[in-house]
Amino acid sequence: MERTSTNHPVIELRNVDYQLPSGQPLLAGLNLQVQRGETLVLLGRSGSGKTTTLKLINRLLAPTGGEVCVNGTPTSQSDVICLRRSIGYVIQEVGLFPHFTVERNIGLVPHIEGWTPERIHLRVEELMRLVGLDPQIASRYPHQLSGGQRQRVGVARALAADPAILLMDEPFGALDALTRDQLQREFLSLQQRLNKTVVFVTHDLREALRLGSRIALMEAGRLVAVLSPEEFLRSSDPLAAAYVQAFADGLDSSSRGAS
Amino acid sequence: MKPNRNRRLRGFLERCGISLCSLLAALLLLSSCADSHSDRIVIGSKNFTESLILGELIAQQIEAHTHLKVERRFYLAGTYICQQALLAGRIDVYPEYTGTALTAILKQKTGGDKAEVYQQVKSQYEARLGLTLGPPFGFNNTFAMEIRGEDARRLNLKTLSQAAAFASQWRAGFGYEFMERPDGYAGLAAAYGLHFAAPPRIMDLGLLAPALKDHQIDFAAGNATDGLIPALDLFVLDDDRHYFPPYEAVAVVRQQTEQQHPEVSQAIAGLGGKISDQEMRQLNYALDGQHRDAKEVAHEFLRSKGLIP
Amino acid sequence: MNLLHFFLQNQDQIVELTLEHLWLVGISTLLAVVVGIPLGILSAHWPVWNRPVLGTANIIQTIPSLALFGFLLPVPWLGDRADRLAILALTLYALLPVIRNTYTGIRGVDPAVVEAGRGMGLTNSQLLFQVELPLAMSVILSGVRVAVVVSVGLATIAAAIGAGGLGEFIFRGLAMVNNQLILAGAIPAAVLALSADFGLGWLEKRLRPQ
Repeated sequence: MERTSTNHPVIELRNVDYQLPSGQPLLAGLNLQVQRGETLVLLGRSGSGKTTTLKLINRLLAPTGGEVCVNGTPTSQSDVICLRRSIGYVIQEVGLFPHFTVERNIGLVPHIEGWTPERIHLRVEELMRLVGLDPQIASRYPHQLSGGQRQRVGVARALAADPAILLMDEPFGALDALTRDQLQREFLSLQQRLNKTVVFVTHDLREALRLGSRIALMEAGRLVAVLSPEEFLRSSDPLAAAYVQAFADGLDSSSRGAS
Repeated sequence: MKPNRNRRLRGFLERCGISLCSLLAALLLLSSCADSHSDRIVIGSKNFTESLILGELIAQQIEAHTHLKVERRFYLAGTYICQQALLAGRIDVYPEYTGTALTAILKQKTGGDKAEVYQQVKSQYEARLGLTLGPPFGFNNTFAMEIRGEDARRLNLKTLSQAAAFASQWRAGFGYEFMERPDGYAGLAAAYGLHFAAPPRIMDLGLLAPALKDHQIDFAAGNATDGLIPALDLFVLDDDRHYFPPYEAVAVVRQQTEQQHPEVSQAIAGLGGKISDQEMRQLNYALDGQHRDAKEVAHEFLRSKGLIP
Repeated sequence: MNLLHFFLQNQDQIVELTLEHLWLVGISTLLAVVVGIPLGILSAHWPVWNRPVLGTANIIQTIPSLALFGFLLPVPWLGDRADRLAILALTLYALLPVIRNTYTGIRGVDPAVVEAGRGMGLTNSQLLFQVELPLAMSVILSGVRVAVVVSVGLATIAAAIGAGGLGEFIFRGLAMVNNQLILAGAIPAAVLALSADFGLGWLEKRLRPQ
């Protein structure tokens, strides 16, 4: 049907269930759409199913019920490798290859896609500048980098083949507050420039409010609500309100000092 | 932060590692195809006196009559080991017995007289194993069932059949190979109806004769050419049912060696028919009884036969 | 005649037997690596194979070496040539360290790295050859090192069944009660084992990811 239409969702989950082989259900009846160019944040507490949802998009997990469509094609019908190479994937632990330099890490997908070495080199330099890294550290190894630098490399690596979709699973969760703040800021400016379709998983409401164009609130494997940041803050949904309250309390008590 | 210098060092060490691996690979290749002793003849022998003497005789004969360098690998632990070494080319020659070759190596039943057995072994060795035999040295070292001379005289025993009646009163002692070989104890006991009081004791060949003399055992499987037979007053019972096949001593040679160095076969042929049963016993006794050096004894014998100047 | 003199006089034979020994160890280690590493990869990726593969290798290891040589002697094609038999037995003994270390090495790769790689669209073989194996290489090599050192020792026993190698000196020396001959076998064997241990240990250290 109308696959190239601009108002057709880039990613769509239709009635998706996911059950572990042991029978335990992690997702039930999930219906979600991600529009082109938006940053959809999956917000929820541990065990709410947000990481599982993310992994269904690049088929690291396969749905046990329902259908996941990317660019109109169900993921079950597309070539898994091609699908994954067209989607950038950034995880909290970063997962940089310790035996590769920064340059080889970033350039891995272009390399296996058969780009020429010169083209790869130029692209790596470009990306490093884009994520705020000095190109001189391209020959360093991951163990020689700081946590913030590593995650920047992780983002650069995900962007290397210029995918239209970016999946990010709590990418800044393991960093200190200052670095996290800096990277969030840079993410926003990057998004403005690149306009990727991003699905971003977090459990931090402030991060969700800051980065997301829409917030999908999840609880116990179900989608509770999909709201814009403003709607979320004003929401009368009990769970959303509880979240807002929890974070507001945190801010209040810290500003008043230890109580 | 590692400076550039460290990276160059790593590159160097990497190359060292690669060259080491290639060296090992080359060594492996070398060890596989190196024909390590094309200029030498390696003589093997089993690990008992008689085999040692024969090996030494062969070695000195080759040294005297050819220009080849001779290497000795004596005291190999048994028929199988010698055979394997020969097949793998680690040795070129070793002394064997026709009866042993027939039953233990070719795994066939015995039958026929000395000449027939010799021919059978020779033709099969040549056809199946790429080995050949030199002419027999002249003695038949068949198994000798030994008892003490005093017992033989007292009980008036001459043959194995007669002795079988007394077996239940005796303890027997045998060497490892005799116990295990198909042409050994099992067959003998069946052929003569031997039933000993207890299972036979297994001991080193060299210890059998002294054990017999000291009354630790009463019946032993020795060899007809045991040097200690006359010295210790031991009596060899006659194999009246002809259970044991002939055991003529011969040199087994690799056909490849024979082709490359025909002078070796010629030298070995010079020993054909030169050693009688009695002479072999004397040679054995010189080592086992008199504890003389094998090289000396062999040299003396070859001179006495006019084989070396 | 002192020991050094003895060694110099018999150097040809010593070199020949050392090369024979190297051949036995080299071929069997190579076979163990060719068979063992894939089996290790198999049991690491498909845990259902873990018990049977490691279990079998474990059982083989518990059989006393001389007994294993003895078991294999009557086997038709194998028993005909002692070196074939010895190589098979040595290979079987080298399997456990290689398989076990390959398994451990691959399972020890950071799961985040594997997940990132898979999520990026690396195929299974790309993941195996470009990520998992290079990262596991140090551990695998440590298994190979153990296999080599064990093989050098076991190969001396192989001489008991006629496979040659440095053990032949030792057995002959024992039969002749000649210490020099025994040492002519024991010393080169020890030197071989130590150099292999040292050389491979060095390589292992170099390949360890920081």
